[in-house]
Amino acid sequence: MARTYHGTDYTPPDLIAKVTGKARYAEDWRAEGMIFAKCLLSPMPHCRVRSIDASEALAMDGVHAILTEEDLPEHGPMQETCVTNEPLFEGQAILAVAADSETLCADAIEKIKVDLEPLPFALDPLQSLREGGSNARTDGNSIVREVLEEGGRPQMLVKETKWSDDLFADADRLPMGDPHAEWTFGDLDAGFEAADVVYDVAMYHQNVTHHPLEPRSCMAYWQNGKVYVHPSVQSIPITAGSIAGSIGVAPTDIVLICEYCGGGFGSKIAGTVNIPVSVLLSKMTSRPVMHRITRYEENYMGRARPGFQAQIKVGFRKDGRLVALDLYVVQDNGPYGIQSDMGSAGTVASLSYQPENMRWRGVSVLTNTPPRSAQRAPGGSQVTTLIEPLLDRAAEELGIDRFEMRKINAPDSDSKFNANQGGLTCAYVREAIDKAKELVDWDNAKALSRKREGSKVTGVGVAVSSYTAGNFGFDGLMVMKPSGTLTIHSGVGNLGTHSYSDVSRTAAEVLDMPWENCEVIWGNTAKHLPWTCVQAGSMTTHSMTRAAHAAATQLKEKLQQIAAKDLGGSPSDYTIGGERVYHRSNRSRGMTYGKAADRAIALGGVFDGHEVAEDINPVTKASAAGRAGQGLMGAARDNYERAGSVYSFVIGYAAIELDTDTGDVQVIDYAAVTDCGTVMNPRSLAAQLHGGGVQGMGMALGQKWTFDPQWGVPFTHRFYSARPPSILDVPSVMKAGWVDEPDPHSPVGAKGIGEPPVGAGEAAVVCAIRDALGGHDFNRTPVQPDMILNVIEGRPDHYRPFTTHT
Amino acid sequence: MELFQYASNPWGQEVLVRISWSLFWLALGAGVLFVVGHLALRGRWQGQHTATAGGAGLPEKIERHGMGARLFHWVMALSMLVLLITGFLPQIGVQFSWLTLHWVFGLVLVVSIVFHMIHATVVLSFSDIWVSGRDVKEWLQGLRHDLTGSGEAPPKPGKYPVDHKMFHHAATVGGLAAIITGVLMMFRIEDPIFPRDPYMYSDGTWGVIYVLHGIGGVLLVGLTITHVYFAILPEKRGITRSMIKGWITRDEFLEHHDPERWDVGEGDADTDAAPSAAAVSEQG
Amino acid sequence: MATIRDMIPEFELFQPQGLDDAVTLLERYGEDAWPLAGGLDSFDWFKDRVKRPRAVIDLGAIEALHGVRSTGDGLEIGALTPLSEVADNAEIRDKYGILAQAAGLVATPQIRNQGTLGGNLCQDTRCWYYRGGWPCYRAGGNICYADTPESMNREHCVFGASRCVAVNPSDTAPALLALDAEMVLQGPGGQRTVAAEDFFIGPAVDITRMTVLRPGELLAAIRLPASWAGASFYFEKVRDRQSWDFALVSVATTMKIEGGSVSDIRLVANSVAPYPMRLREAESQVRGSAVTEAVAQAAGDVAVVDAKPLHQNGFKVPLMRNLVRRALTEAAA
Repeated sequence: MARTYHGTDYTPPDLIAKVTGKARYAEDWRAEGMIFAKCLLSPMPHCRVRSIDASEALAMDGVHAILTEEDLPEHGPMQETCVTNEPLFEGQAILAVAADSETLCADAIEKIKVDLEPLPFALDPLQSLREGGSNARTDGNSIVREVLEEGGRPQMLVKETKWSDDLFADADRLPMGDPHAEWTFGDLDAGFEAADVVYDVAMYHQNVTHHPLEPRSCMAYWQNGKVYVHPSVQSIPITAGSIAGSIGVAPTDIVLICEYCGGGFGSKIAGTVNIPVSVLLSKMTSRPVMHRITRYEENYMGRARPGFQAQIKVGFRKDGRLVALDLYVVQDNGPYGIQSDMGSAGTVASLSYQPENMRWRGVSVLTNTPPRSAQRAPGGSQVTTLIEPLLDRAAEELGIDRFEMRKINAPDSDSKFNANQGGLTCAYVREAIDKAKELVDWDNAKALSRKREGSKVTGVGVAVSSYTAGNFGFDGLMVMKPSGTLTIHSGVGNLGTHSYSDVSRTAAEVLDMPWENCEVIWGNTAKHLPWTCVQAGSMTTHSMTRAAHAAATQLKEKLQQIAAKDLGGSPSDYTIGGERVYHRSNRSRGMTYGKAADRAIALGGVFDGHEVAEDINPVTKASAAGRAGQGLMGAARDNYERAGSVYSFVIGYAAIELDTDTGDVQVIDYAAVTDCGTVMNPRSLAAQLHGGGVQGMGMALGQKWTFDPQWGVPFTHRFYSARPPSILDVPSVMKAGWVDEPDPHSPVGAKGIGEPPVGAGEAAVVCAIRDALGGHDFNRTPVQPDMILNVIEGRPDHYRPFTTHT
Repeated sequence: MELFQYASNPWGQEVLVRISWSLFWLALGAGVLFVVGHLALRGRWQGQHTATAGGAGLPEKIERHGMGARLFHWVMALSMLVLLITGFLPQIGVQFSWLTLHWVFGLVLVVSIVFHMIHATVVLSFSDIWVSGRDVKEWLQGLRHDLTGSGEAPPKPGKYPVDHKMFHHAATVGGLAAIITGVLMMFRIEDPIFPRDPYMYSDGTWGVIYVLHGIGGVLLVGLTITHVYFAILPEKRGITRSMIKGWITRDEFLEHHDPERWDVGEGDADTDAAPSAAAVSEQG
Repeated sequence: MATIRDMIPEFELFQPQGLDDAVTLLERYGEDAWPLAGGLDSFDWFKDRVKRPRAVIDLGAIEALHGVRSTGDGLEIGALTPLSEVADNAEIRDKYGILAQAAGLVATPQIRNQGTLGGNLCQDTRCWYYRGGWPCYRAGGNICYADTPESMNREHCVFGASRCVAVNPSDTAPALLALDAEMVLQGPGGQRTVAAEDFFIGPAVDITRMTVLRPGELLAAIRLPASWAGASFYFEKVRDRQSWDFALVSVATTMKIEGGSVSDIRLVANSVAPYPMRLREAESQVRGSAVTEAVAQAAGDVAVVDAKPLHQNGFKVPLMRNLVRRALTEAAA
């Protein structure tokens, strides 16, 4: 490849629109005759609607309609709906009003009489697991997947999980009844037997709301039988399919427009719960409906990371090797679905630390708290932060350097992990650790450990974080226009990571196209997007560079074929360069890309997209049909080989300064080094490493949920009270580095990087606090000044090991 | 006029909070109205009683309230006054730090009432203070006589005139309502005695407790006004004196009481055997 | 009635040009009137529809309420002066640096540009139960939701509780108490002045208000006496987050040192009580002696002797003790 777009900084095509304010986010859209919607939220954490009297509201001038559960398309009893007659958390929408203005919506809602029957509610999973503890749902406190008849598909069922009182006898230890799921590899008992140090610790990780900067507003209108939806979502083509059921429309009748998404962190993966509000009210009123979500509402309609109440038993050999790990997670599931965090926690732990013997068990308990979803390294960040301090504890006890401790247990390309002991495409963790040591000047940085000056004591922490980083089998679509412009259709959502455009760089690189002559088309299903993975699981960069590579390679082959057809010889005689396809032996024997595009249109068939490969997704086929005849088309599925799971790794390093008078912690230095394969966009990569790290620091230092236990109502619904970290809470300069070893199982070699930076930042800071406090383990996040001061003062704290929502 | 204050609890349910403060003004008004009315009509029944003949052998001073009874009365009166002042003045705009005074004197009142109850049970006789059927009949007779001038004047009472007894009953109801609820309310504030637990009862129960406390309070406002009013009337001077010094004169005894119904015997003014159960009602 | 958040209900907006007009309007609308300064406290209340005034009197256009002026005896700061101006004003920085520092630690630059000194002083408490519109004592109800055996009261008070356990959140208030500032109040009856220390009241006196301001009365100006100009100062605010956060505990001290010993001192803590709290006992530990580590320690100990923590906020006791010690040591250094 002549051009090296991979690994170079560039200006992504959305940047100017963003910095000039021209970018249109969901709530920036306007349409002729647009009205507004607003929801009435449940004041109770669990209740049943006895009756709704909206007559007074509907009689108001300018009030158009109300939407209640009866107006929704058919749905199952376990499905979360945009409005409901049985709210399962305080703040869940009961109904929505459409009116000329939002103020009018609010005034109308105040006039609606809703008679609610309060029902028992549960906030704390452990309390709910006790005999006599209340259930989050009337029919149980857990959702499980069970195969009801032999050979049948597993069904989701609400069940009651209760454990006998004797399991709760020791309040400082996790009660461990029968798990909902478990797996083991190796011989756990033998592992602990072989261990020289064993720790058995009760742990707690808080729940955290996603709180992306842009709330999930949505505008929708109907035109010619199609619904035009302007939501704030992470993924594009796949979202049209996933929301179809909730609005009762075929995916092909949905036009989804979302060119800019102000962050999702996993809370807007393929739709948001509120989308049907504007879609259905628009249908009822025949008017475009804008439903703006406020920050307060975002706390409820947004999602959250599930909290963990856990017991972790871990054994290390004298040489530092982690030989046995027994992990039991009680997951705060929220009211809907089965969250994946507790499972991912087992996977990530088994990968990052390569325990020789391991058991994982998990129970997910329903609670009457806002719904959960994946949040940037779901399960991974929690488990990393809970286990990393134990590595430090062992390192200290065994006299091993902390980075060395991680290297001893690090996975490599031949490592196995998880229940099935599957393999990886590659892993260069030790290389990343070496790079990190160099970047932070570890030999000198170590001197900061427990260095005291007045009331200030410094501490350093390191952590290894891993997470999934790729998938395969998606499609690429691009058209070389007669003008010589390459239009790259990117189905990747633009949630601020630049991956929608980074993956398009692969096409430019394969075709040796000047980037200025490439046009990236994204964010609008009417603009013919290919079948694309979800923007989640950090899979985009790996998956979609593969897809782009496949389509661009196909386009290149077609260039060669056209050249051979027109200029003689066989396609393999031709090569590309300088926006031309030409004969290897005679550069002048060739044609421009533009000319080839003209020829493609003339040739038709496979060349201009009238015929496409059988194996591409119907969505891509439809998009290709929409662009057929406009130029030379590349439309291909990623059929590249793959063996093993794709994972990326981040090494985090944090230095903190702790004030022993006040308990205050300042992060004074942070560095993150990654193994994420081929680097696509260094500037954006550094932003991911640091941004994710900062998100992790927020969880380490204070971002959380606080509920009043008596009323089941949260207080942390806005940025002030939820306390995500501010610019003054993180170092003004942070360092980033990368191994830049390509993934051998991808033609591009790139892996995703969205998720593992979070656990690296969170765990490194927690470890650094541990260090500063001379090895005190809180076994709990977040670590706040009150906890620190109480430890320094030897005062008892108010929480028990598993106290939640505090 | 609203009688009660309501609020919307965190779940949006309407809950009773307390009485409306306007009830204080109502009680104050009722008390003042009664005083004004009584003053206006007072001439009608002045000096209607004639002294009962006899009384030979009776001491000059007849004990009406023993030391224990008087002590209770004044401790109770002081705490009641402090409680009403600290309870109501802040609500009508006179701001000061009232709560500690309020509960401390509330506890003083509780202690004094407990003492009174024991004293009344052990030493005094319930029948002296209990409103009987005959009392009611005589009261109605007196009312008719006083207001319309028709019918006969009722017979003279024993130790406690019927209006005294009725006042005592009203004060008992108001006082008990206020102190029982008041003690419970101490679980809603920070104090050194009762651990703070606002969720000891449901919202609804607390609402009733606060309302009862308020009703007791405003009732006592009205009762206190009338009580003080009678205490300072010249014709009740003897009774007022008896609450200070313990005795009434033989003449006062013979003029206002029926020796048949109040056997004072050969009276020993030094004993503490005089009834004090009526202390609250003495000057009603 | 349903709870609606983030949607300001209608009100009548007045923008008087003169102070007298403002007072007249406040008097006319009585309980239904709401004086508006920077709006950072007000709009929170309005948008959550917890407070619903009929008439909002925007004081922004009243020239007399703006700016920093020299008086014969010190400085006078108009109540509507933005916090950023207070933080940046050369004379305040020069003579009353503790106030500039406190103002500079309020929230964020945006909030300091919009928020005013008067607003920062008059703001209501941040107790999340109360601000959530719960019918607590402070809101006219009969319960404190923040002081139950399981309440979330990590940020509540350790002193001065009387049914309500909320704290005064102001950053500038402790600095002003330490400077012995005087508050100029304008009401229907004319002007009156009160010492900063007497301006704030606790729930024992009036559970529904944070200051002595009567309905219809405005804080017009803050006067800083010359007597404390250029003294030794120390201010510190400890918070969970280094931006956009109220104090867990803040401490302010002004100190005059003559011949190596403290001739006069004022020491104030905030966010520990429903009002900024003057620490007289601690002051007297220091007054007349040199500030040694032992003296500072003793003053810290004495400052917290009567603290009564709630179940989650015991940490405020050592935090306050340490801050007092540190304030004394640093101011004397």
